[in-house]
Amino acid sequence: MNRVRTFLLASTLAVALPVSADIAVVVSPDSGVTTLTRSEAINIFMGRYRKLPNGDLALPIDQSTLKARFYRALVDKDLAEINSYWARLVFSGEASPPQQSDSAADVRQLITHNANALSYIDSASATDDMRVVLTLGE
Amino acid sequence: MSRLLLLLHTRLALRTTAIIVLIVALLGGLFLGVAVHLRAANVHKTQQVRLQELITTVERTAQIACFLGDERMAEEVSQGLLSNNIVNAVTIRASDGKVLATGRSGPEFGDTTIPLVVRDVASPFEPDQTVCRMTVEPDQEELDLMVAQASTFIGTALLLQLLGIGVCVTVVVARYVTRPIAELSHRLSELEAETGQKLQAPPGNRDDEIGTLVASVNVMIDNLVESLGQERRLRLEREVEERRYRAIFDNVEAGLFELDGEGLMRSANPAFRRLFGIDPDRNLDAEPIAFTTLAPSYATPGRIVDSGQRPRGHGERDERDESEERSERAGRGGPEKYAERAGDGERAGDGERAGDGERESDGGRKGISGREESGEREEQREYLCEVTHDGTPRWISLLVSPLETGRLQGVAHDVTERKRAAETAAQMAMTDSLTGLGNRRGFEHRLAVMTRHHRLYPDRRHALLMLDFDHFKQINDTYGHQAGDRVLLHAAATLSSLLRQRDYIARLGGDEFVVLLEGCDRRDEVVTLIQRFLHRLATPLALSEGEEARVRLGVSIGISTLGVDTEDPQQAVEFADRAMYAAKRAGRNTWRFYTPEFETT
Repeated sequence: MNRVRTFLLASTLAVALPVSADIAVVVSPDSGVTTLTRSEAINIFMGRYRKLPNGDLALPIDQSTLKARFYRALVDKDLAEINSYWARLVFSGEASPPQQSDSAADVRQLITHNANALSYIDSASATDDMRVVLTLGE
Repeated sequence: MSRLLLLLHTRLALRTTAIIVLIVALLGGLFLGVAVHLRAANVHKTQQVRLQELITTVERTAQIACFLGDERMAEEVSQGLLSNNIVNAVTIRASDGKVLATGRSGPEFGDTTIPLVVRDVASPFEPDQTVCRMTVEPDQEELDLMVAQASTFIGTALLLQLLGIGVCVTVVVARYVTRPIAELSHRLSELEAETGQKLQAPPGNRDDEIGTLVASVNVMIDNLVESLGQERRLRLEREVEERRYRAIFDNVEAGLFELDGEGLMRSANPAFRRLFGIDPDRNLDAEPIAFTTLAPSYATPGRIVDSGQRPRGHGERDERDESEERSERAGRGGPEKYAERAGDGERAGDGERAGDGERESDGGRKGISGREESGEREEQREYLCEVTHDGTPRWISLLVSPLETGRLQGVAHDVTERKRAAETAAQMAMTDSLTGLGNRRGFEHRLAVMTRHHRLYPDRRHALLMLDFDHFKQINDTYGHQAGDRVLLHAAATLSSLLRQRDYIARLGGDEFVVLLEGCDRRDEVVTLIQRFLHRLATPLALSEGEEARVRLGVSIGISTLGVDTEDPQQAVEFADRAMYAAKRAGRNTWRFYTPEFETT
């Protein structure tokens, strides 16, 4: 099993290498939040908290191209596990998964237009119109 | 209950089983206690493990529920846990103190000793971060039930084992111990040991302890049979002996009898019965005869001590004196013993039976008794008694000797002939063949009796006359011895006719005579007697039929008186002798009384 896992990791790295490393959690520059801990990030993305540390409502957004890498970096789980997690919570209704976007452009769009929005991008492609509050090393 | 006790008491197998079962039960109880205790501890441990496993099963869901603070999901988890019967209560408490879910399936126990299972639940995404704490309370009832079940199982198993052991021990003991023993006992009871039969060990037991027992029993039987046979042989021998003895007892001429310690006759043979005139059919064992009625003078045999043992004469003891006294009272003239009466044997049958019994045989003189044995401790005694049951008096000697303690054996002999012969012989020995009077020996005998008598009754006087015929030698020389004898016969007859019954006359030898006048102390009586004698003697005597030759006899008489002149009979004889010579000196055919002056002249 470990071997498989190591192999997968290696192949992921091989794919990711050209795109360069880290993933940055970003918010709108208008947001009152300047920095986030990893734990706070987990709580928000995994549906535990609905508010940002400053008290504002949090609106996490998943980016499908980066989703696998992100959750691997954040909670060290693959997508199947994350999906299973959310599927379990569907019936209880207590929490809901982040909103889904298909590309980095959409994410940028959403971030810039919503001060409560919260998402992640490849740290290499980070721009000034969004604030990096947390960088997750892979 | 008592029946059971009786069974236990009488059945080896049951007793053994009961003891073994009791021991096993005690040990089993102990083991059961330990086992239940261990089992309880084990059950607790198992319970803990199971609870932990249960919690692990629901942990992921609980993680999520806690992570999200989702009470509904936490409730689901709680209910899931409670659906297990080993869970009594569940509490899920978030890290911030908020109770997300709590539930209880059974009653609440106040018991705080119940070990609770606690699990800190980590966040599903951050394993180092605790999001809540789950507390699970095990179901004590269920726990107890399990322990009870386990105990029941062990107990049942133990009971079954106990039963099994009991049955097995009973069967084994009954099969291998009780049955051989019972079989042996049965065979032993039917064994005819006399026929040489041996006890057979049950097959399979020949080499073990039961076989050894059988061998020992056989050895014992052998010994018993042998000693039994010996006993039987001895008994047979004894029976033969007894028959032999019985034949002797019944047919022997001598009378045989037995006395018990009280002097009662318990048995007597036919000869003895004939001797004493006892009914032959009389059962002596049932109607014993007192020995004293046969020998009347003696109260018990033990009193009789034969005087033959003692020196005769003046030193005799009182017993003899008593018997003499008794005979005196009975009217006897003198203290004679039968053997001393040779001179007057005709008196023996004069009807004075009371005195007869004491005429015991004097062994020293008669030589017919077993005197040699009398010196021993087990003294043999001899009695002589006179029996006149069939008209003629018989003399019977009874020889009694101890058989064992309290038993005496006696032999009776008819000694009448022997006694008569002895009496005749004694009488002959003491009789002058010519005159039929006493001779010197008879006189000495009488004098000895007199001595005793005088010692007993010193007041009595007795006159002693010594006679010597004058010139008798000339008659002999002139007319011959036959003529002399005729003269002596005449003189003796004349003298005898003048004397009383109890006086004694003896011819000492030649023409010398002696007369003892018993109880005579008056001189005038003596003188009268002498004068009458001289007077009768004065008549001339024809020396032979048809012859003219006649002789006149003269006699010189000396008189001494015992009790006056002297106390010693021998001396009285001497004194009379001297007085007689004094009479001769005085001119013959006269008499002289002894006076002390004779001593001086």
